[in-house]
Amino acid sequence: MADLGRAALVVSLGLLVYALVGGSVAAVTNRRRLAVSARNALFCAFGSTAIAATVLAVALVRHDFSFAYVATHTNRTLSTPYALSAFWGGQEGSLLLWLLVLTGYGALAVALNRTLLRDLTVWVVPVLAGIGTFFAFVLVAVASPFDTQTAPLDGAGLTPSLQNPYMVAHPPMLYLGYVGLAIPFAFAAGAMLSGRTDERWIVATRRWTLAAWMFLGFGQLLGAHWAYVEVGWGGYYAWDPVENAALMPWLAATAFLHSVMIQERKGMLKVWNMVLVALAFELSVFGTFLTRSGVVNSIHSFAKSPIGAWFLAFVVISSLFSLALILWRLPLLKARTKLESALSREAAFLYNNLLLVALCLTILWGVLFPIITQLVKGETRTIGRPYYDFFLRAFGLPLLLLMGIGPLIAWRKTSFRTLAKTLAWPGAVTIACGIALVAFGAGSSHPGLIAYTFSAFVLSTIVLELVRGTRATGSLVALVSRNRRRYGGYVVHAAIVLLAIGIAGSSAYSSSTIRKLSPGQSMTLSGYTLTLQDVVRRQVPNATETRAILAVKGRWNGRISSGDNQYVNPPEPSREVGLKTNWLRAEDLYVIADSVNLKTKTVYVKVLVKPLVNLIWVAGFVFVLGSLIALWPDAREQRRLVTRLAPARA
Amino acid sequence: MTVLAVVLGVVVAAGAVLLVAWPFLREPVAADDRLDAPSEGEAHWLELLDERDRVLGALKELEFDHRTGKIGDDDYGSQIGPLRRSAAAALRAIDGYRARMSAPEIPDLPTEPGPPPDEGTPPTPAPVPEPYPPPDEADIPAPAPQE
Repeated sequence: MADLGRAALVVSLGLLVYALVGGSVAAVTNRRRLAVSARNALFCAFGSTAIAATVLAVALVRHDFSFAYVATHTNRTLSTPYALSAFWGGQEGSLLLWLLVLTGYGALAVALNRTLLRDLTVWVVPVLAGIGTFFAFVLVAVASPFDTQTAPLDGAGLTPSLQNPYMVAHPPMLYLGYVGLAIPFAFAAGAMLSGRTDERWIVATRRWTLAAWMFLGFGQLLGAHWAYVEVGWGGYYAWDPVENAALMPWLAATAFLHSVMIQERKGMLKVWNMVLVALAFELSVFGTFLTRSGVVNSIHSFAKSPIGAWFLAFVVISSLFSLALILWRLPLLKARTKLESALSREAAFLYNNLLLVALCLTILWGVLFPIITQLVKGETRTIGRPYYDFFLRAFGLPLLLLMGIGPLIAWRKTSFRTLAKTLAWPGAVTIACGIALVAFGAGSSHPGLIAYTFSAFVLSTIVLELVRGTRATGSLVALVSRNRRRYGGYVVHAAIVLLAIGIAGSSAYSSSTIRKLSPGQSMTLSGYTLTLQDVVRRQVPNATETRAILAVKGRWNGRISSGDNQYVNPPEPSREVGLKTNWLRAEDLYVIADSVNLKTKTVYVKVLVKPLVNLIWVAGFVFVLGSLIALWPDAREQRRLVTRLAPARA
Repeated sequence: MTVLAVVLGVVVAAGAVLLVAWPFLREPVAADDRLDAPSEGEAHWLELLDERDRVLGALKELEFDHRTGKIGDDDYGSQIGPLRRSAAAALRAIDGYRARMSAPEIPDLPTEPGPPPDEGTPPTPAPVPEPYPPPDEADIPAPAPQE
């Protein structure tokens, strides 16, 4: 069946090349039947890519080791969910997933807008087809998942650290986000190519952008949780280049989601929005390049291959294409109005944008620095955690403050007196919280104290907004349902506050200690006393488990075990941490047992107590809830759009 | 290569070719093969509606911000007048355009529905006298369709 998969990919490539060339010719020469034909080619490309994906998925489930990809990434001991997750566990499968999601998203976005935005979609088709052509070409000519071999008795297996439920969901989530950013990019490019640079492309892609942003954000939190429970160093985000690769497009998309509101309301920032949407897309492709090329050292770079050069060429060409389009259409992208006051909602959005983009570019520089030093000086110099932590505080804390101030400022302009009056209650709550936090000892970390007080400020402004809005409209439900975007956004703000509290708590106020223990010996940290009871080793299918068993007394009483697994196939180790969540105290007891000596029964035990870390995971669900509220279709808005956009209909 | 794979591959390719060629098979000779993009008139109509929606939206935002205390009476008073005048101008422009609807190049134009979604209509109108209070946008007469 590998031949069927290969043939389906070749058909996809042919269809996408046709959609690119035919669609461009149709748009330039204004030919209707050719445009419809090119659109159909895009739809069919999704169908043939889905066939290729089905062939690979069936081969993975059936352990068909005649597929080199299946033999390299699975073995017979893998359960069906993990065997399926190997689809995105390797490079070729990941690229196929990229193409599948891209053609699926593209076909759906074009189908939904083909009537109402016909003048735009005629250009969107070749843009999407151009992106798809690149991925289909790489899959056909450079990194095919359908290479065959004489089937071995068993496969090499999936990397142990990837055999985790979070890793089943994390990569597809990220891909849904990465690839989703191609849709607003394609519509923005379509708007510029067609010369229709009004707000219709933003309205048409608003939910696509939001959905992509939600998947990207939630996917990163799933990845952070995977790192926390599986990688086992006690943290959840290490500023690894590949982790940063997912964060950067998310930051750019966050800036875009805010700035489009100004364009919709005021007709401003048109060029800036085009730049942001292009930046978000290019960073998403750059992220795939970083993950898959092996150009940077990362625990997440699971593969090194020749596709890096192809990806780099694609990023450069598509960036130049975007830049040329923006420069060409500059006269059409002039703002209709000007910023009336530096103290207005739109100005607050602008400050927010500058901070988000500054943070994004700072991280990009941190990622690029080792590559540049390697190219220029021939030696790799990496940028460490202190660099990223500094800029996270420098840009992140003002962003947190702005998140509270922004919603309280009126559009157009506000006077200082009115703003001061509006800020009175949230300001009082913030000061009271700050004093209470210092009284409870939170002053030991200044960044932590600032993050907590700013978080209290943001939460109090959200509550104030809801109270005032409910008073004005008479009902909270009516308030939210009439402007889901705004109030969904506030729920997302609340999620970011939870995230900030979780990050501040687990980093600024965490405690740790390490000791070599023999059976019967104890160690104490933050009210927990851990006593080593035994060190054991046992055989399980495909692995040897070594565990240190510790009795815990104090804030929590029970037993906890930690150690490592040595897998047979693939022959790789995996650290297994001991983790106990104390929900009452909102903290985690995190135990890492290392250098276990079975003869002397000694073990090095590292214990960490991480306050409020679980708020980070809770924030993920609140984030999704807020995003869904903002995403939820609004019947009135839909009716208005259908009628508004109807003139473009035949 | 299995026979099944060959057959399936041929079916996939043939189906794709058929769908891609379908517009030409259905209409071997098209009477009009041009793309029906919006005309200049439609584009102008859209601009007028966009401007009207933007100004009315700004008015509603201003009312809501005033009711929720984000904007003081002084600022409200200084902003509501120009905004209402802009709204009246936008509505007059739409009326003027509608009056020229007999021109043959003007295409079918749809009936405009209610206002864009927001926090709802204020329960009490703002006490600022203005010479041209904007009519409810739901009352905006739609251009007559072209024959």
